[in-house]
Amino acid sequence: MAVHPNTFHLTIASVGETRFDGAAVSATLPGTSGQFTVLAHHEPFVTTLKGGTIVVRLNDGEHKEFAIENGVLECSRSRVVVLL
Amino acid sequence: MANLKSIKSKILSYKKTGTVTHAMEAVSAVKMRKAQGRALSTRAYARAALRVLSHIAGSVDVERHPLVHKDPSKDMTCIVLVTSDKGLAGSLNAAVLRKVQEFIREHSLSPQNLEFICLGRRGHEFAQRNGYRVLQYETNITDGILELEVRDITNRITALQISGDARKVYMAYTNFRSTFEQEPIMRQILPLRRQILQEIVEGIVPEKGKYSALADSDLRTGAIGGAAAYTMEPDATSVLAEVLPKLANVAVFHALLETKASEHSARMVAMKNATDKARDMAKGLTRTFNKVRQAAITREVSEITSGIEAMR
Repeated sequence: MAVHPNTFHLTIASVGETRFDGAAVSATLPGTSGQFTVLAHHEPFVTTLKGGTIVVRLNDGEHKEFAIENGVLECSRSRVVVLL
Repeated sequence: MANLKSIKSKILSYKKTGTVTHAMEAVSAVKMRKAQGRALSTRAYARAALRVLSHIAGSVDVERHPLVHKDPSKDMTCIVLVTSDKGLAGSLNAAVLRKVQEFIREHSLSPQNLEFICLGRRGHEFAQRNGYRVLQYETNITDGILELEVRDITNRITALQISGDARKVYMAYTNFRSTFEQEPIMRQILPLRRQILQEIVEGIVPEKGKYSALADSDLRTGAIGGAAAYTMEPDATSVLAEVLPKLANVAVFHALLETKASEHSARMVAMKNATDKARDMAKGLTRTFNKVRQAAITREVSEITSGIEAMR
């Protein structure tokens, strides 16, 4: 399956389980210094997250929500990893 | 010559014991598979956390963080001793305890500069018997232990380190290599070293059995990433403060799961041996029983015939 040019690979993992692993169009996250949204080809960065909800928009227009307590986001050129 | 009745009751009791141990074997087999699967599920997380760390390592001085920094001024060692609560698991706990004793001898530690955090009853008994201070003692840790519950323990350990009570923290647990092979391991947890984490991540995949095919390739490549220039938000220090305890937590959590898998497989093997032995004993006794019975019949027959002969 060809990767859609406007999607990126997103992984949301806690120690026990992987809560999300797949392509996403955008993800809105509660950062410690404010809410932000990641799109494809975001500049590489690392940030800490606070409690709140992660909203992931998928390719087919659907939404997925994940409640989190805290976490770390790592964004590299090809993928985004959220550790809870 | 033993009488028939006592032999018969012995055979029965051996058979009953065999049934029980057989059931325990089956239960342990299922639990072992579950524990193994869980241990494996931490792998993705550990790998990702390690990658984040290796990315950050390029841009900040990780060495300065209290969890990594080693302060030699205080010579305190803490051992997190992971054992099972119950016996009937072969030499599992004995092996870990022997390893700990060796370690204590090698580093010439005494109750003055050694403390324990005991997860599991057997380890606690060991520490108490030898007069060591126990900082924390957890028992009845379930197989389905959540990472959240482990955080308590990890927080305790990291707090010791951060508060300046700097000490070395080791973990003694059993590494699950395969169903028939578990090895006791002493591993340094704090001060945190990247090499240690790498070892843990690589050690997560068992050598043999159901999950062994997952080893190698993707693990090695995933662990070491190129250190691109990262933007840190809000700043590098707070990101590190978030990531490093998580890594320590993964290490502890993983050791727990690993011990669980080992415990169940050791118990399974021990119970299998017990079942086999019980079957052997029952078989041998049945043979004796038949011999004694036959002898009794022969004797009775000869008594009767000789009685008839005498009456003629």
